[in-house]
Amino acid sequence: MSKLAQLLQASGASIEAEDDFDSVNALMREKGWSDGLPIVPPTEARVAAMLEYCDRPWDQPIAKIPPRWGEATPLLLAANAVMAGCQPRYFPLFMLAIEAMCEEPLNLYGVQATTHLCAPLVIVNGPVAKELDINSGHNAFGPGHQANATIGRAIRLALINIGGAIPALGDMSTFGSPAKYSYLVAENEDESPWEPLHVERGLPREASAVTVIGAECPHNVNDHESLTAEGVLTTIAGTMGIAGVNDIYYQSQPLVIMGPEHAKMAAAGYTKAEAKRFIQQRAHVAVGKLSRENIDRRVKITFKDRLANPKPDDVVYAVQRPEDLLIAVIGGAGKHSAYVPTFGATLPVTRALKTADGRLAKSVEDFRRR
Amino acid sequence: MANLSKRGLTTAVICSGPFMKLGQAQARVFGVPDLPLLQIPHPLGGVSIEQVQARAEVAVPQFVKLLKEKTQ
Repeated sequence: MSKLAQLLQASGASIEAEDDFDSVNALMREKGWSDGLPIVPPTEARVAAMLEYCDRPWDQPIAKIPPRWGEATPLLLAANAVMAGCQPRYFPLFMLAIEAMCEEPLNLYGVQATTHLCAPLVIVNGPVAKELDINSGHNAFGPGHQANATIGRAIRLALINIGGAIPALGDMSTFGSPAKYSYLVAENEDESPWEPLHVERGLPREASAVTVIGAECPHNVNDHESLTAEGVLTTIAGTMGIAGVNDIYYQSQPLVIMGPEHAKMAAAGYTKAEAKRFIQQRAHVAVGKLSRENIDRRVKITFKDRLANPKPDDVVYAVQRPEDLLIAVIGGAGKHSAYVPTFGATLPVTRALKTADGRLAKSVEDFRRR
Repeated sequence: MANLSKRGLTTAVICSGPFMKLGQAQARVFGVPDLPLLQIPHPLGGVSIEQVQARAEVAVPQFVKLLKEKTQ
């Protein structure tokens, strides 16, 4: 008997179903093990193929996913990856994303259960992004690439099926968001004038990594007219000055996604750190744009040292310190950038792809069982 | 709260209506399925001071009743 067959002997580890796509999908819907879309039946053979790319013990949890705090074993994760339509070689990156989002600073319990519409956004850096053909260019956040679509979907299925993010039970989001189906991209390192996100966050350039952010959907920043770094950065900062985001009340780390054309224009005048400072100083909301109750109950309390008696022209900032702003370069041609606010009570987590013995992985083939 | 409850202190969690199921599920997850949940009207945000007072008046008798039960 194979090792997988032995694991599947355990009570509740497998379920009998008619060998038929429609029957399996009906069963999954009945059990609530779906995001609403049809799933690929997680047969023993398909799960075994997925686990070929796992160098850890298949029955040992790599994380616990809130709010159910379900144990995410490679075996359960593999079933969800199959259901989402992943290729087996995607599996190491999917496992890494789950591990990263379960680290404490991200506050996945809050991200999962809140009434806010956030979802974990995964940005992939390093050579594995190209190896797996993760889209970082045109329509990177949209449809068209299997890796983006299915690794992102596998994450959501794990958050539902292992973590219990069930609408109105473990996921209390007032209305959710399309990003809760799938939310995974790569940074467009080739078109970026600055160092990649994972390098800025302390990892070697040759590492492959994920950065996870408890994020809203991207909000577009159109600027077809600016000719200078100051111009494009001013438009981005102006777009961020909105009243209804959580980040104005938290020391959080929201994200600016710069399209390559905007990024190159900005980099002609500024380093990444200087661009962050420029944006932070100008991305603000005048207190006069906030409701009286928000001023009394939030602004005067959160910023009591600076705004105990605020005047209408005083400001609250979209991001509290320059170093708290994340910038990534993503997308194809076009004069657009995007602002991605966060849940607020969450911090990004960056984690490198490593084999079980702790070495930086050069390729997903490093995980393949021999 | 679950840890305080396990230590034998009288504890309760206050939930508004739509969050009762989440509260019950979390109590089970943390091994205190009988953790008392005190239900108050939703919402918690965007209510006047008078409405906050009214919610306290709904919660306090439930907690007093709980304390009496625990001390009997």
